[in-house]
Amino acid sequence: MENDDKIDTFSDREKISRRDFLGVASKGAAATMIAGVFAPSAGSMVGLGGVAEAKTKSIKPFTFAVMTDGHLYNIKNHRFDGMFMDAVNMINKMRPRPDMVIYCGDIGQTGMEVEIAKGKRMLDKLKMPYKVIPGEHDWYLDMGKAWRGMFGAENWSMDHNGAHIIGMNSIKIDDFWTGPGLTPTERMGRVLELECNSCGPWGVDPEGLDWLEKDVKKVSPGTPIVFFSHSPLWDYYPRWNFATKDAPEIRSILRKFDNVMAVHGHVHQVVFNKIGNISSVGTSSTSWPWPYPPVELPYPEIRHNRLDPGDFADGMGVHHVEVASNGSGMMHYDPFNPSMLPPAVARGVKL
Amino acid sequence: MKIKRKNRFAKASALAVATGILGLLISAPALTKEPLNDAADFDKLMEAVAYGDQLWHTGESGGPSNLSTNGLGCANCHPDASATQPQSWPKYQTNLGKVGTMREMFNWCMQVVQQGKGFPLDSKEMIAMEAYATYMNRGAVLNPGMNKQTSPVVKSGPGYPTNDEGNR
Repeated sequence: MENDDKIDTFSDREKISRRDFLGVASKGAAATMIAGVFAPSAGSMVGLGGVAEAKTKSIKPFTFAVMTDGHLYNIKNHRFDGMFMDAVNMINKMRPRPDMVIYCGDIGQTGMEVEIAKGKRMLDKLKMPYKVIPGEHDWYLDMGKAWRGMFGAENWSMDHNGAHIIGMNSIKIDDFWTGPGLTPTERMGRVLELECNSCGPWGVDPEGLDWLEKDVKKVSPGTPIVFFSHSPLWDYYPRWNFATKDAPEIRSILRKFDNVMAVHGHVHQVVFNKIGNISSVGTSSTSWPWPYPPVELPYPEIRHNRLDPGDFADGMGVHHVEVASNGSGMMHYDPFNPSMLPPAVARGVKL
Repeated sequence: MKIKRKNRFAKASALAVATGILGLLISAPALTKEPLNDAADFDKLMEAVAYGDQLWHTGESGGPSNLSTNGLGCANCHPDASATQPQSWPKYQTNLGKVGTMREMFNWCMQVVQQGKGFPLDSKEMIAMEAYATYMNRGAVLNPGMNKQTSPVVKSGPGYPTNDEGNR
């Protein structure tokens, strides 16, 4: 499959251009829109950084940590339990201490309440506040009932030190189970296969888009945005749901901001893309790594090295992001085994 | 030594050629009547591929203890039989500590990563899993010893022809 969504597709740019022209409310939005619409390549986005930095309001710097994709089983003393706990301990030892931790989905493997509860017990050992968004493995056994019972709203936002932080449920799939009469277990069984070919694409759904539109309505364009979703906000490899079906609309709603730092789970790997004002960065899991799909990476230097299947921790780990006073971010991968990172990634990835 | 070995080889070759000619004389009529591969044979391969696909995805939610006792299936790490590289085998594989085959690597994964028993190398299950991984990666250029991760391009469905709707 060809990866033709490394940057905005032409139709995306058309949509965004129309919307932004209609809603040009600020100088920041105009500057961003021009770069996003007319710059055809990621390389030419470099100029945008200067514009964004000049316009963005100054904020109080902070750090947040990210862990994700633990895929816990209802099996006692499973090695994924240990790796999950290692991740919690690594974050607790980070100095300076992160202000908060975000968990990007897939606490459980088969959606069982006991799996999610096991994860929550370990997350509760974090020494800083944490927020969680759901992944498909948390959701499709009971349609999120257990998850919501433990973590509350699936879409949430907060303001922190002058930045606006958003978490969204991006794994809403249209009903594929009622027709064939699948049981909840069968439904979950299909969704937990990455290459499920009967499940269809997922996204935040129209109600998610409405929620997002309302949420950012009064947020000024100079406010740095940190956006968390389980899946990437671009078409990386839709066959494995390395995509969010309504990502173009999400990007359009967020287009007015100078800098959006989007962090996602699901891909279990180091990957990066930049589309207009949005940096999208993937994360390592604490369970297993996924292979790279058969598409060209938009930023080929931002990837992990070949991993050793005999080293169960290789390719896994946690992350922290430093948000600077100018509203830019620096993503640091903190792997269990540092040899997974090429130098270009070990230095940090600018968001 | 060299000459002796050559002579022995020559004798063996002559015997093989003679046996081959004899064999051809006996079996030649059958070969001219039936093609070596027909649609039914391909269907049989697809049955093996489908069984391999089923095994590949079974361990994720249980299944025979040969495959896994910790819930991990082959597909946990190898969706669409990615990162199996059938075109690269046989090769020296660090985890095996020798030049080995893909089937031996399958057993290594089942025994070490998935904590199962594995399958006999000539079993129906092992052959089916090999059929699945190889068919999914069809078209890859043979490259024994290659040390690079590759993933097959799969346009739709499970990646191979099936009689059912193609849904797992």
